[in-house]
Amino acid sequence: MKKSYCLLWGSLAVAGGLVTASQAQDVLNAQKGPLDPPSLNMRAMQLRDADLPRTSGTEFNPAISLIIDFTYTHNTDDLEAPAGFELGAHSHGHGEEDHSHHDEEHGHSHGLEDGFQIRAVELNLSATVDPYFDAQTTIHFSDDDVEVEEAFITSRMLPSGLQLKAGKFLSDVGYINKQHAHDWLFVDSPWIQEYFFGDEGLNELGVQLSWLPPTETYIRLGAEALQGDSEGIASYIGEDGLSEKDSPRLFTGFAKIAPDLGSHHAVQYGAFGGVSRAFQLEQHEEEYMDGDAWFAGLDFVYKYNGQGSHGHRNFALQAEYIYRQIELDPLGGHSTHEEHAHEEEDHHHEDHHEDHHDEGHGHHGQEWKQDGLYVQAVYGFAPRWNAGLRYDVLGLVNDGYDHDEKMDFGTSYRYTGQLTYAPTEFSRFRAQAAYTELADSGHEADHAHDGWQFVLQYTVSLGAHGAHAF
Amino acid sequence: MYMKNSVLMLILCVVWCAEASEIRVVATVPNAGVLARAIGGDQVQVKVLAPPDRDAHYLEARPSMMSALRRADLLVAIGADLEIGWLPAAIRGAQNARIQPGQPAYFELASALDLLEKGKPADRALGDVHPHGNPHFDYDPVRLAEAGLVLAERWAVLYPEHAETFRAGAHHFMEQARKRLAEWKMRIDDPAPVLAYHADFVYLLDALNVQSLGAIEPLPGIPPTASHLQELVHRLAGEKGVIWATDYQPSQAGQFMARALSWTFIQMPIQAPIDAEADAYFNLIETWVNAIVHPNE
Repeated sequence: MKKSYCLLWGSLAVAGGLVTASQAQDVLNAQKGPLDPPSLNMRAMQLRDADLPRTSGTEFNPAISLIIDFTYTHNTDDLEAPAGFELGAHSHGHGEEDHSHHDEEHGHSHGLEDGFQIRAVELNLSATVDPYFDAQTTIHFSDDDVEVEEAFITSRMLPSGLQLKAGKFLSDVGYINKQHAHDWLFVDSPWIQEYFFGDEGLNELGVQLSWLPPTETYIRLGAEALQGDSEGIASYIGEDGLSEKDSPRLFTGFAKIAPDLGSHHAVQYGAFGGVSRAFQLEQHEEEYMDGDAWFAGLDFVYKYNGQGSHGHRNFALQAEYIYRQIELDPLGGHSTHEEHAHEEEDHHHEDHHEDHHDEGHGHHGQEWKQDGLYVQAVYGFAPRWNAGLRYDVLGLVNDGYDHDEKMDFGTSYRYTGQLTYAPTEFSRFRAQAAYTELADSGHEADHAHDGWQFVLQYTVSLGAHGAHAF
Repeated sequence: MYMKNSVLMLILCVVWCAEASEIRVVATVPNAGVLARAIGGDQVQVKVLAPPDRDAHYLEARPSMMSALRRADLLVAIGADLEIGWLPAAIRGAQNARIQPGQPAYFELASALDLLEKGKPADRALGDVHPHGNPHFDYDPVRLAEAGLVLAERWAVLYPEHAETFRAGAHHFMEQARKRLAEWKMRIDDPAPVLAYHADFVYLLDALNVQSLGAIEPLPGIPPTASHLQELVHRLAGEKGVIWATDYQPSQAGQFMARALSWTFIQMPIQAPIDAEADAYFNLIETWVNAIVHPNE
């Protein structure tokens, strides 16, 4: 019985490797003489045209959706980056000259600026290219910029649960990284996302191969080879006397496991990590650092389906942890690194951190060991309404070793609450308040260490009804 | 290249055949699962993705769906955009070449039927519309059975060795559906018209020849406001009728209308239990029929 089944599929395969019913029909026809009675199978074959899938977005045009994200933001205080995390995220480092860029680089809240703002107009186009590939693009329009946020193909026909993705895409490391901004449960992304990977998360050019074993429990394993051009983990300049390193420079891996807990509960655990062959930045004007970095983390999400209408009684708990280590050696520049190291220390660390000075670390450049985590919970307290709390921590471990000196930067915290009303799946209004408590970074006194941020937001989605991954 | 492809596919096919003892079918909603079991009989093992007490419009793609789809040989969906919010994501996440849309193992029941309310303007100002037609045909046993006849033929092509089992199963289901529907129609005499919470009972009411008073929702997926309810009460006052809502829909609006109009409000499951066989499905639909035959019991 299985044999004839195999034979059918075998002949379908011979028909060109592309298994469609119309080709199957040709094969079946070819096996018959013209006067043989029609096969019993023919009825369905004749119905073939009638029973093609009927789903919107299959009319040759890609599924198109446009997302508008409008915000009003009020910050009570002008806060800087959490202590120790100016690195990478603000590649000009600690110096005074940094302040000329300060306002535009003040992207600490995923580009939330004071006042009214069209934070994003995002155009999504997706379609099945042919039987072998799906493709998707996300184009991001802002006031002064058009950016291809994502443009990638994914394979449809690889065997054995394998899938290949290639292009520019949001990495699958962690849980929230692959989500677009409009899928977040808060207005902005968690701190770790922003400070370990950059404003848009780990969004890189490259390829990904993933595998889903045919197990009862959901397991997904994957590896990515990426260009390596993300501020927080793979900062790259590649010129100005810095060694050029061939891409791919960033390699990541992830594993996700999700036991089936029935229809009320869903849980997913993940572990991930990555190695960057290059981490380069301009520490001061024309003084460059060159090195490498790695990161590792854990993610967890639990969702409860409360069976209410429109998200009523649904609950989601989500947490992620990331640890990174960066090693940097001074390179090039017009003066020796000794001078600069001391100058920097004088500027910023001596006053506040002299008690942390350590034994020599045996390292001539810089070494950073930092971590962070967030925990967030969102509950649907009424149909179409939800409210959530988020707790961000940055720098539980926050050690920098600068030329044998240990600098301990302390821990920064942020507490965020949100209230959301979504009249339909296509529109959403959100109010968010966040209180930030920064560790003392030893910077100039014109920056506050704590402050409130209030945001009002609406997000609307025009066009095709997108399906959201877990 | 051409040859290599074919050889590769043959090898894969052999590996796949070796690992499968039963044909693994994934159905999106329980009523589709009932149909798949009726057609496949002992040859298939059916797994249903959506629990019966959830609105299949608003599910979320979950890892458990993806692992079920990963191992599926056949997929039976309702189609007509009912599962648009989660099935495409679940299929993408399942990484299973066999059940991709366009493959013979992927089947939308809606594709075999002429849907009601087809070709309405695709304008979201009109709510969560389905331009391809109303996707709730699985509430009408005969329409579900009709789709089953086409499904059986599709499966017969993929598994010629089971073709007769599939056809016999589909025909038996159709006979039962016709018999039950005829019985119900005999019993219905001067039925109460039905006001539904959502526009989801149109096929069943059409099959039973019972008048539909439309939906409480002003537009599909849009909850009624107090003034809209008052208007409905005003319009329907003095007439007779019965109000229907499925177990996953909000009950307040229906209860309010029932009080205001002195009608009966019925709220029950519309999807069969997740492992149900055909009889359980027909009995479930019969409970709805009973609610018109004896609206006050």
